[in-house]
Amino acid sequence: MKIWNTPAGGQVEEMESGYDVSRRRFFQLAGGIAGAGILFSACKKTSGPTDVYIGSGDTALLNYMYILQQVEAAFYTQAVVTNYYGISQSELQLLTDVRDQEIAHREFFKALLGSDAVMPIDIAFSSVTFADRTSVLTNAAQLEDLVVTGLIGAAPLLTNTDYTREFNKMVTVEARHSAYFKDVYAYNTFSTGVGSNAMDHSNSPSAVLAIAQQNYILTKFDSRKLPN
Amino acid sequence: MNFRNILAEIEKTDPEVYERLSGRRDVLRSFGSKVAAAALPIAVGSMFKKAYGKTTSAVGDALNFALKLEYLEFNYYHVANNTGGLIPGSDQPGFQTIEAHELSHINFLTNALTTMGVTPYTPKNYNAASNIPAYIPSGAYDFTKGGTYHVFEDYKTFLIVAQTFEDTGVRAYQGQMPAFFGSANSTVLQQALEISCVEARHAAHIRYVRRLSGAAAEYPAPWITNNIPPIVALQANYLGEDNVGQEGITITSLPGASGTIPQASATAAFDEPLDAPTVLALVTPFFIL
Repeated sequence: MKIWNTPAGGQVEEMESGYDVSRRRFFQLAGGIAGAGILFSACKKTSGPTDVYIGSGDTALLNYMYILQQVEAAFYTQAVVTNYYGISQSELQLLTDVRDQEIAHREFFKALLGSDAVMPIDIAFSSVTFADRTSVLTNAAQLEDLVVTGLIGAAPLLTNTDYTREFNKMVTVEARHSAYFKDVYAYNTFSTGVGSNAMDHSNSPSAVLAIAQQNYILTKFDSRKLPN
Repeated sequence: MNFRNILAEIEKTDPEVYERLSGRRDVLRSFGSKVAAAALPIAVGSMFKKAYGKTTSAVGDALNFALKLEYLEFNYYHVANNTGGLIPGSDQPGFQTIEAHELSHINFLTNALTTMGVTPYTPKNYNAASNIPAYIPSGAYDFTKGGTYHVFEDYKTFLIVAQTFEDTGVRAYQGQMPAFFGSANSTVLQQALEISCVEARHAAHIRYVRRLSGAAAEYPAPWITNNIPPIVALQANYLGEDNVGQEGITITSLPGASGTIPQASATAAFDEPLDAPTVLALVTPFFIL
Protein backbone atom coordinates (compact mmCIF):
# COMPACT_ATOMS: atom_id res chain seq x y z
CA MET A 1 0.00 0.00 0.00
CA LYS A 2 1.29 3.43 -0.89
CA ILE A 3 0.56 6.62 0.98
CA TRP A 4 0.93 9.91 -0.77
CA ASN A 5 1.51 13.17 1.00
CA THR A 6 -0.51 15.81 -0.74
CA PRO A 7 0.91 19.33 -0.98
CA ALA A 8 -1.71 20.49 1.52
CA GLY A 9 -0.13 18.23 4.10
CA GLY A 10 -2.96 15.70 4.06
CA GLN A 11 -2.63 12.07 3.15
CA VAL A 12 -4.45 9.97 0.59
CA GLU A 13 -4.20 6.26 0.21
CA GLU A 14 -3.76 4.26 -2.89
CA MET A 15 -4.05 0.54 -3.37
CA GLU A 16 -0.85 -1.40 -3.70
CA SER A 17 0.57 -0.69 -7.10
CA GLY A 18 2.20 -3.16 -9.44
CA TYR A 19 5.44 -1.27 -9.03
CA ASP A 20 5.76 -2.24 -5.38
CA VAL A 21 5.16 -5.87 -6.11
CA SER A 22 7.58 -6.03 -8.99
CA ARG A 23 10.18 -4.20 -6.96
CA ARG A 24 9.86 -6.61 -4.06
CA ARG A 25 9.97 -9.56 -6.40
CA PHE A 26 13.12 -8.18 -7.95
CA PHE A 27 14.85 -8.17 -4.60
CA GLN A 28 13.60 -11.65 -3.78
CA LEU A 29 14.95 -12.90 -7.07
CA ALA A 30 18.17 -11.02 -6.79
CA GLY A 31 18.78 -12.44 -3.33
CA GLY A 32 18.69 -15.97 -4.68
CA ILE A 33 21.01 -15.55 -7.60
CA ALA A 34 24.70 -16.21 -7.36
CA GLY A 35 26.55 -13.18 -8.61
CA ALA A 36 23.72 -10.89 -7.60
CA GLY A 37 26.33 -8.28 -6.88
CA ILE A 38 26.50 -7.57 -10.59
CA LEU A 39 22.77 -7.04 -10.76
CA PHE A 40 22.85 -4.68 -7.79
CA SER A 41 25.78 -2.71 -9.04
CA ALA A 42 24.11 -2.38 -12.40
CA CYS A 43 21.00 -0.96 -10.75
CA LYS A 44 22.80 1.13 -8.18
CA LYS A 45 23.16 4.69 -9.25
CA THR A 46 24.69 7.31 -7.03
CA SER A 47 22.63 10.33 -7.99
CA GLY A 48 20.94 10.78 -11.31
CA PRO A 49 19.51 13.89 -12.91
CA THR A 50 15.93 13.05 -11.84
CA ASP A 51 16.78 12.63 -8.15
CA VAL A 52 15.36 15.15 -5.70
CA TYR A 53 18.10 17.48 -4.50
CA ILE A 54 17.93 18.04 -0.74
CA GLY A 55 20.40 20.92 -0.50
CA SER A 56 23.68 21.28 1.36
CA GLY A 57 24.81 22.11 4.90
CA ASP A 58 22.07 22.85 7.43
CA THR A 59 19.41 22.89 4.70
CA ALA A 60 20.30 19.32 3.76
CA LEU A 61 20.16 18.24 7.42
CA LEU A 62 16.77 19.90 7.90
CA ASN A 63 15.42 18.33 4.70
CA TYR A 64 16.82 14.97 5.78
CA MET A 65 14.86 15.25 9.02
CA TYR A 66 11.81 16.59 7.15
CA ILE A 67 11.92 13.40 5.05
CA LEU A 68 12.07 11.17 8.14
CA GLN A 69 9.23 13.06 9.81
CA GLN A 70 7.13 12.65 6.66
CA VAL A 71 7.69 8.89 6.93
CA GLU A 72 6.68 8.85 10.60
CA ALA A 73 3.61 11.02 10.07
CA ALA A 74 2.50 8.86 7.14
CA PHE A 75 3.00 5.68 9.17
CA TYR A 76 0.79 6.84 12.05
CA THR A 77 -1.77 8.42 9.76
CA GLN A 78 -2.25 5.01 8.19
CA ALA A 79 -2.11 3.24 11.56
CA VAL A 80 -4.93 5.42 12.90
CA VAL A 81 -7.11 5.16 9.78
CA THR A 82 -6.84 1.37 9.55
CA ASN A 83 -6.19 0.69 13.22
CA TYR A 84 -5.22 -2.85 14.15
CA TYR A 85 -7.58 -5.54 15.39
CA GLY A 86 -8.07 -5.56 19.13
CA ILE A 87 -6.83 -2.00 19.72
CA SER A 88 -7.83 -0.65 23.12
CA GLN A 89 -9.23 2.81 23.74
CA SER A 90 -6.00 3.83 25.47
CA GLU A 91 -3.88 2.55 22.60
CA LEU A 92 -5.96 4.35 19.97
CA GLN A 93 -5.81 7.56 21.97
CA LEU A 94 -2.02 7.43 22.27
CA LEU A 95 -1.55 6.32 18.65
CA THR A 96 -3.56 9.37 17.56
CA ASP A 97 -1.51 11.60 19.87
CA VAL A 98 1.75 10.26 18.40
CA ARG A 99 0.37 10.83 14.90
CA ASP A 100 -0.35 14.46 15.75
CA GLN A 101 3.10 14.93 17.33
CA GLU A 102 4.77 13.56 14.19
CA ILE A 103 2.62 15.79 12.00
CA ALA A 104 3.73 18.69 14.24
CA HIS A 105 7.38 17.74 13.61
CA ARG A 106 6.75 17.38 9.88
CA GLU A 107 4.96 20.70 9.54
CA PHE A 108 7.57 22.40 11.73
CA PHE A 109 10.36 21.38 9.35
CA LYS A 110 8.28 22.30 6.33
CA ALA A 111 7.66 25.79 7.74
CA LEU A 112 11.29 26.17 8.82
CA LEU A 113 12.59 25.20 5.37
CA GLY A 114 10.13 27.35 3.44
CA SER A 115 10.99 27.29 -0.25
CA ASP A 116 13.98 24.99 0.44
CA ALA A 117 11.70 22.15 1.59
CA VAL A 118 11.78 19.02 -0.58
CA MET A 119 8.45 18.27 -2.21
CA PRO A 120 6.20 15.75 -0.46
CA ILE A 121 7.74 12.37 -1.02
CA ASP A 122 6.49 8.98 -2.14
CA ILE A 123 6.26 6.57 0.79
CA ALA A 124 5.45 2.84 0.93
CA PHE A 125 5.11 0.54 3.93
CA SER A 126 5.16 -2.71 2.03
CA SER A 127 6.46 -4.74 4.98
CA VAL A 128 3.84 -3.47 7.48
CA THR A 129 0.49 -5.17 8.08
CA PHE A 130 -1.58 -2.36 9.53
CA ALA A 131 -4.39 -4.69 10.64
CA ASP A 132 -1.97 -6.62 12.83
CA ARG A 133 -1.11 -5.33 16.31
CA THR A 134 2.33 -6.94 16.47
CA SER A 135 3.28 -5.61 13.05
CA VAL A 136 2.24 -2.05 13.88
CA LEU A 137 3.82 -1.93 17.34
CA THR A 138 7.14 -3.49 16.33
CA ASN A 139 7.42 -1.40 13.18
CA ALA A 140 6.54 1.75 15.12
CA ALA A 141 9.29 1.06 17.65
CA GLN A 142 11.74 0.30 14.85
CA LEU A 143 10.89 3.51 13.04
CA GLU A 144 11.19 5.57 16.23
CA ASP A 145 14.57 4.03 17.02
CA LEU A 146 15.76 4.87 13.51
CA VAL A 147 14.75 8.51 13.92
CA VAL A 148 16.39 8.65 17.37
CA THR A 149 19.71 7.47 15.91
CA GLY A 150 19.24 9.94 13.06
CA LEU A 151 18.54 12.96 15.25
CA ILE A 152 21.47 12.19 17.57
CA GLY A 153 23.82 11.71 14.63
CA ALA A 154 22.69 14.91 12.93
CA ALA A 155 22.49 17.28 15.93
CA PRO A 156 26.27 17.87 16.24
CA LEU A 157 26.58 18.47 12.47
CA LEU A 158 24.29 21.50 12.37
CA THR A 159 26.09 24.84 12.24
CA ASN A 160 23.09 26.87 13.45
CA THR A 161 22.82 25.85 17.10
CA ASP A 162 19.20 27.03 17.25
CA TYR A 163 18.46 24.03 15.04
CA THR A 164 20.61 21.79 17.25
CA ARG A 165 18.44 22.82 20.19
CA GLU A 166 15.29 21.85 18.27
CA PHE A 167 16.75 18.46 17.35
CA ASN A 168 17.55 17.94 21.04
CA LYS A 169 13.99 18.83 22.04
CA MET A 170 12.58 16.33 19.54
CA VAL A 171 14.92 13.39 20.03
CA THR A 172 13.90 12.70 23.63
CA VAL A 173 10.25 12.74 22.52
CA GLU A 174 11.00 10.18 19.80
CA ALA A 175 12.72 8.08 22.47
CA ARG A 176 9.57 8.33 24.60
CA HIS A 177 7.53 7.07 21.64
CA SER A 178 9.90 4.15 21.11
CA ALA A 179 9.80 3.22 24.79
CA TYR A 180 6.01 3.34 24.79
CA PHE A 181 5.55 1.09 21.74
CA LYS A 182 8.03 -1.42 23.16
CA ASP A 183 6.26 -1.36 26.54
CA VAL A 184 2.83 -1.86 24.98
CA TYR A 185 4.13 -4.76 22.95
CA ALA A 186 5.99 -6.37 25.87
CA TYR A 187 5.84 -4.78 29.30
CA ASN A 188 9.15 -3.58 30.79
CA THR A 189 10.99 -3.67 27.45
CA PHE A 190 11.08 0.13 27.07
CA SER A 191 14.85 0.18 26.61
CA THR A 192 15.43 -2.97 24.60
CA GLY A 193 18.16 -2.39 22.06
CA VAL A 194 19.94 0.51 23.77
CA GLY A 195 23.71 0.20 23.73
CA SER A 196 26.34 -0.48 26.34
CA ASN A 197 26.62 2.15 29.07
CA ALA A 198 22.79 2.44 28.86
CA MET A 199 23.02 4.91 26.00
CA ASP A 200 20.89 5.14 22.88
CA HIS A 201 22.58 4.66 19.51
CA SER A 202 23.61 7.27 16.98
CA ASN A 203 24.07 6.97 13.24
CA SER A 204 25.22 9.21 10.41
CA PRO A 205 22.68 10.99 8.19
CA SER A 206 23.71 9.07 5.06
CA ALA A 207 23.41 5.71 6.83
CA VAL A 208 20.00 6.54 8.32
CA LEU A 209 18.72 7.92 5.03
CA ALA A 210 19.84 4.75 3.26
CA ILE A 211 17.89 2.59 5.75
CA ALA A 212 14.79 4.79 5.41
CA GLN A 213 15.16 4.72 1.65
CA GLN A 214 15.39 0.94 1.61
CA ASN A 215 12.44 0.36 3.93
CA TYR A 216 9.95 3.16 3.39
CA ILE A 217 10.71 5.62 0.59
CA LEU A 218 10.26 5.31 -3.18
CA THR A 219 11.49 8.83 -4.02
CA LYS A 220 15.19 8.97 -4.84
CA PHE A 221 17.30 11.77 -3.41
CA ASP A 222 20.45 13.55 -4.41
CA SER A 223 22.02 13.72 -0.96
CA ARG A 224 25.63 14.14 -2.02
CA LYS A 225 25.93 17.37 -0.06
CA LEU A 226 24.35 16.00 3.11
CA PRO A 227 26.87 16.54 5.96
CA ASN A 228 28.07 13.38 7.66
CA MET B 1 57.17 19.50 15.35
CA ASN B 2 56.97 23.02 14.04
CA PHE B 3 55.44 25.26 16.66
CA ARG B 4 54.53 28.06 14.24
CA ASN B 5 52.70 25.59 12.04
CA ILE B 6 50.66 24.37 15.01
CA LEU B 7 49.58 27.90 15.82
CA ALA B 8 48.72 28.52 12.17
CA GLU B 9 46.59 25.36 12.13
CA ILE B 10 44.77 26.35 15.29
CA GLU B 11 44.19 29.82 13.88
CA LYS B 12 42.16 28.27 11.07
CA THR B 13 39.55 27.01 13.52
CA ASP B 14 40.12 29.56 16.27
CA PRO B 15 41.08 32.97 14.87
CA GLU B 16 41.50 34.26 18.41
CA VAL B 17 44.25 31.87 19.38
CA TYR B 18 46.86 34.63 19.51
CA GLU B 19 44.62 36.76 21.68
CA ARG B 20 43.99 33.85 24.02
CA LEU B 21 47.70 33.33 24.31
CA SER B 22 48.61 37.01 24.39
CA GLY B 23 48.98 37.04 28.14
CA ARG B 24 51.71 34.55 27.64
CA ARG B 25 53.53 36.52 24.99
CA ASP B 26 56.78 36.24 26.86
CA VAL B 27 56.43 32.49 26.97
CA LEU B 28 55.79 32.47 23.24
CA ARG B 29 58.92 34.49 22.63
CA SER B 30 60.97 32.21 24.78
CA PHE B 31 60.01 29.26 22.62
CA GLY B 32 61.94 30.86 19.83
CA SER B 33 65.21 30.57 21.62
CA LYS B 34 65.69 29.06 25.01
CA VAL B 35 63.30 26.23 25.79
CA ALA B 36 64.82 22.81 25.49
CA ALA B 37 63.19 20.69 22.81
CA ALA B 38 62.44 17.89 25.28
CA ALA B 39 60.36 20.21 27.47
CA LEU B 40 58.30 21.54 24.61
CA PRO B 41 55.31 19.17 24.55
CA ILE B 42 54.61 19.66 28.26
CA ALA B 43 55.06 23.40 28.09
CA VAL B 44 52.77 23.66 25.08
CA GLY B 45 50.22 21.42 26.76
CA SER B 46 50.00 23.55 29.87
CA MET B 47 49.89 26.75 27.86
CA PHE B 48 46.89 25.62 25.80
CA LYS B 49 45.17 24.18 28.83
CA LYS B 50 45.29 27.62 30.42
CA ALA B 51 44.13 29.35 27.26
CA TYR B 52 41.22 26.98 26.68
CA GLY B 53 40.56 26.18 30.32
CA LYS B 54 37.25 28.02 30.29
CA THR B 55 35.78 25.76 27.64
CA THR B 56 36.93 22.59 29.35
CA SER B 57 35.54 23.89 32.61
CA ALA B 58 32.13 24.63 31.06
CA VAL B 59 31.93 21.10 29.65
CA GLY B 60 33.15 19.66 32.94
CA ASP B 61 30.63 21.66 34.96
CA ALA B 62 27.79 20.50 32.73
CA LEU B 63 28.83 16.85 32.95
CA ASN B 64 29.33 17.08 36.71
CA PHE B 65 25.87 18.58 37.06
CA ALA B 66 24.43 15.64 35.10
CA LEU B 67 26.44 13.27 37.30
CA LYS B 68 24.95 14.81 40.43
CA LEU B 69 21.43 14.08 39.13
CA GLU B 70 22.39 10.54 38.09
CA TYR B 71 23.59 9.84 41.66
CA LEU B 72 20.31 11.16 43.03
CA GLU B 73 18.31 8.90 40.71
CA PHE B 74 20.46 5.83 41.26
CA ASN B 75 20.13 6.11 45.02
CA TYR B 76 16.38 6.59 44.74
CA TYR B 77 15.89 3.39 42.75
CA HIS B 78 18.46 1.44 44.74
CA VAL B 79 16.60 2.10 47.98
CA ALA B 80 13.23 1.39 46.35
CA ASN B 81 14.35 -1.87 44.78
CA ASN B 82 15.62 -2.98 48.17
CA THR B 83 12.47 -2.02 50.05
CA GLY B 84 10.35 -5.16 50.37
CA GLY B 85 6.67 -4.79 49.49
CA LEU B 86 7.02 -1.44 47.72
CA ILE B 87 7.20 -2.36 44.03
CA PRO B 88 4.77 -5.02 42.75
CA GLY B 89 6.43 -8.07 41.23
CA SER B 90 5.29 -7.28 37.70
CA ASP B 91 6.92 -3.85 37.85
CA GLN B 92 10.19 -4.94 39.46
CA PRO B 93 12.08 -5.85 36.25
CA GLY B 94 11.53 -2.34 34.89
CA PHE B 95 12.86 -0.61 37.97
CA GLN B 96 15.83 -2.96 38.21
CA THR B 97 16.66 -2.04 34.61
CA ILE B 98 16.38 1.66 35.41
CA GLU B 99 18.60 1.35 38.50
CA ALA B 100 21.25 -0.44 36.42
CA HIS B 101 21.05 2.27 33.76
CA GLU B 102 21.63 5.06 36.27
CA LEU B 103 24.69 3.24 37.60
CA SER B 104 26.01 2.88 34.04
CA HIS B 105 25.52 6.60 33.51
CA ILE B 106 27.40 7.39 36.75
CA ASN B 107 30.31 5.21 35.64
CA PHE B 108 30.35 6.62 32.12
CA LEU B 109 30.27 10.26 33.22
CA THR B 110 32.85 9.65 35.95
CA ASN B 111 35.23 8.10 33.42
CA ALA B 112 34.60 10.86 30.88
CA LEU B 113 35.37 13.56 33.45
CA THR B 114 38.48 11.78 34.68
CA THR B 115 39.72 11.46 31.10
CA MET B 116 39.17 15.19 30.61
CA GLY B 117 41.24 15.94 33.69
CA VAL B 118 38.23 17.20 35.65
CA THR B 119 37.51 15.89 39.15
CA PRO B 120 34.22 13.95 39.00
CA TYR B 121 31.45 14.92 41.41
CA THR B 122 30.86 12.58 44.33
CA PRO B 123 27.93 12.89 46.75
CA LYS B 124 28.22 13.79 50.41
CA ASN B 125 29.37 10.78 52.51
CA TYR B 126 30.76 9.10 49.40
CA ASN B 127 32.97 6.14 50.29
CA ALA B 128 35.01 4.70 47.43
CA ALA B 129 35.84 1.62 49.50
CA SER B 130 32.26 0.56 50.18
CA ASN B 131 30.52 -2.37 48.49
CA ILE B 132 28.57 -0.23 46.04
CA PRO B 133 30.33 3.16 46.15
CA ALA B 134 27.54 4.91 44.20
CA TYR B 135 25.06 3.99 46.95
CA ILE B 136 25.13 6.42 49.87
CA PRO B 137 23.35 4.69 52.79
CA SER B 138 22.79 7.82 54.86
CA GLY B 139 23.31 11.52 55.20
CA ALA B 140 23.16 12.50 51.51
CA TYR B 141 19.52 12.31 50.42
CA ASP B 142 16.10 12.91 51.86
CA PHE B 143 13.74 11.43 49.29
CA THR B 144 10.74 12.21 51.49
CA LYS B 145 11.48 15.93 51.09
CA GLY B 146 11.22 16.56 54.81
CA GLY B 147 8.45 14.01 55.33
CA THR B 148 6.23 15.34 52.51
CA TYR B 149 6.43 12.26 50.29
CA HIS B 150 6.23 8.74 51.70
CA VAL B 151 8.05 7.41 48.67
CA PHE B 152 9.23 4.11 50.15
CA GLU B 153 5.92 3.30 51.85
CA ASP B 154 3.41 4.25 49.19
CA TYR B 155 3.93 2.95 45.64
CA LYS B 156 1.84 5.67 43.99
CA THR B 157 3.90 8.37 45.68
CA PHE B 158 7.09 6.55 44.69
CA LEU B 159 5.92 6.63 41.04
CA ILE B 160 4.98 10.31 41.19
CA VAL B 161 8.42 11.33 42.43
CA ALA B 162 10.14 8.90 40.01
CA GLN B 163 8.30 10.40 37.05
CA THR B 164 9.17 13.90 38.20
CA PHE B 165 12.86 13.03 38.64
CA GLU B 166 13.01 11.53 35.13
CA ASP B 167 11.11 14.32 33.37
CA THR B 168 13.22 16.90 35.20
CA GLY B 169 16.34 14.91 34.33
CA VAL B 170 15.46 15.03 30.63
CA ARG B 171 14.88 18.77 30.86
CA ALA B 172 18.11 19.25 32.82
CA TYR B 173 20.15 17.44 30.16
CA GLN B 174 18.52 19.63 27.52
CA GLY B 175 19.52 22.69 29.52
CA GLN B 176 23.16 21.56 29.61
CA MET B 177 23.47 20.80 25.89
CA PRO B 178 24.63 24.31 24.88
CA ALA B 179 27.85 23.64 26.83
CA PHE B 180 28.59 20.94 24.25
CA PHE B 181 27.81 22.98 21.13
CA GLY B 182 30.63 23.52 18.66
CA SER B 183 32.64 21.05 16.64
CA ALA B 184 35.28 20.61 19.37
CA ASN B 185 32.69 18.98 21.63
CA SER B 186 30.55 17.16 19.09
CA THR B 187 31.31 13.75 20.60
CA VAL B 188 30.27 14.97 24.05
CA LEU B 189 27.03 16.36 22.61
CA GLN B 190 26.33 13.05 20.90
CA GLN B 191 26.96 11.08 24.09
CA ALA B 192 24.90 13.44 26.22
CA LEU B 193 22.02 13.00 23.78
CA GLU B 194 22.43 9.23 23.90
CA ILE B 195 22.16 9.32 27.69
CA SER B 196 19.25 11.78 27.73
CA CYS B 197 17.26 9.53 25.38
CA VAL B 198 17.56 6.69 27.88
CA GLU B 199 16.33 9.04 30.62
CA ALA B 200 13.40 9.84 28.33
CA ARG B 201 12.70 6.10 28.01
CA HIS B 202 12.62 5.85 31.81
CA ALA B 203 10.20 8.77 32.00
CA ALA B 204 7.96 7.22 29.35
CA HIS B 205 7.96 3.87 31.14
CA ILE B 206 7.12 5.29 34.56
CA ARG B 207 4.36 7.39 33.02
CA TYR B 208 3.01 4.26 31.34
CA VAL B 209 3.11 2.36 34.63
CA ARG B 210 1.10 5.19 36.17
CA ARG B 211 -1.34 5.21 33.25
CA LEU B 212 -1.96 1.47 33.67
CA SER B 213 -2.51 1.89 37.39
CA GLY B 214 -5.24 4.43 36.57
CA ALA B 215 -3.40 7.39 38.07
CA ALA B 216 -6.14 9.79 39.08
CA ALA B 217 -7.80 12.12 36.60
CA GLU B 218 -4.48 13.01 35.02
CA TYR B 219 -4.26 9.64 33.20
CA PRO B 220 -0.70 10.39 32.04
CA ALA B 221 0.64 9.71 28.56
CA PRO B 222 4.29 8.57 28.21
CA TRP B 223 5.21 12.13 27.15
CA ILE B 224 4.64 15.52 28.80
CA THR B 225 1.28 16.99 27.82
CA ASN B 226 1.07 20.76 28.25
CA ASN B 227 2.62 21.52 31.65
CA ILE B 228 0.53 19.00 33.57
CA PRO B 229 2.33 17.70 36.68
CA PRO B 230 1.51 14.41 38.45
CA ILE B 231 0.42 16.44 41.49
CA VAL B 232 -0.06 20.17 41.94
CA ALA B 233 2.82 20.41 44.43
CA LEU B 234 5.23 19.44 41.61
CA GLN B 235 3.96 22.03 39.15
CA ALA B 236 7.27 23.93 39.17
CA ASN B 237 9.05 20.98 37.51
CA TYR B 238 6.74 21.32 34.50
CA LEU B 239 6.61 25.08 34.00
CA GLY B 240 7.42 26.01 30.41
CA GLU B 241 6.41 22.63 29.00
CA ASP B 242 3.30 24.25 27.55
CA ASN B 243 5.45 26.18 25.06
CA VAL B 244 4.01 26.09 21.54
CA GLY B 245 6.58 28.39 19.87
CA GLN B 246 9.61 26.78 18.21
CA GLU B 247 12.04 28.94 16.22
CA GLY B 248 9.38 31.60 15.86
CA ILE B 249 6.90 29.08 14.47
CA THR B 250 3.65 28.61 16.37
CA ILE B 251 3.09 24.85 16.26
CA THR B 252 -0.62 25.12 17.07
CA SER B 253 -1.08 27.23 13.91
CA LEU B 254 0.31 24.52 11.63
CA PRO B 255 -2.02 22.22 9.67
CA GLY B 256 -2.89 18.99 11.50
CA ALA B 257 -4.69 15.77 10.60
CA SER B 258 -7.85 17.87 10.64
CA GLY B 259 -7.73 21.57 11.35
CA THR B 260 -4.57 22.67 13.16
CA ILE B 261 -2.22 20.74 15.47
CA PRO B 262 -3.94 20.23 18.85
CA GLN B 263 -2.32 22.03 21.78
CA ALA B 264 -1.75 18.75 23.68
CA SER B 265 0.27 17.21 20.84
CA ALA B 266 2.04 20.47 19.94
CA THR B 267 3.44 20.69 23.47
CA ALA B 268 4.13 16.96 23.82
CA ALA B 269 6.15 16.92 20.59
CA PHE B 270 8.98 18.96 22.17
CA ASP B 271 10.68 18.46 25.53
CA GLU B 272 11.72 21.85 26.92
CA PRO B 273 15.07 22.63 28.57
CA LEU B 274 15.56 23.82 32.14
CA ASP B 275 18.70 25.70 33.17
CA ALA B 276 20.96 24.55 36.00
CA PRO B 277 19.84 27.07 38.66
CA THR B 278 16.18 26.14 38.10
CA VAL B 279 16.92 22.41 38.30
CA LEU B 280 19.05 22.90 41.41
CA ALA B 281 16.23 24.78 43.11
CA LEU B 282 13.86 21.93 42.26
CA VAL B 283 16.05 19.06 43.48
CA THR B 284 17.87 20.65 46.43
CA PRO B 285 15.04 19.78 48.88
CA PHE B 286 15.83 16.11 48.20
CA PHE B 287 19.43 16.54 49.31
CA ILE B 288 20.72 16.68 52.90
CA LEU B 289 23.01 19.69 52.81
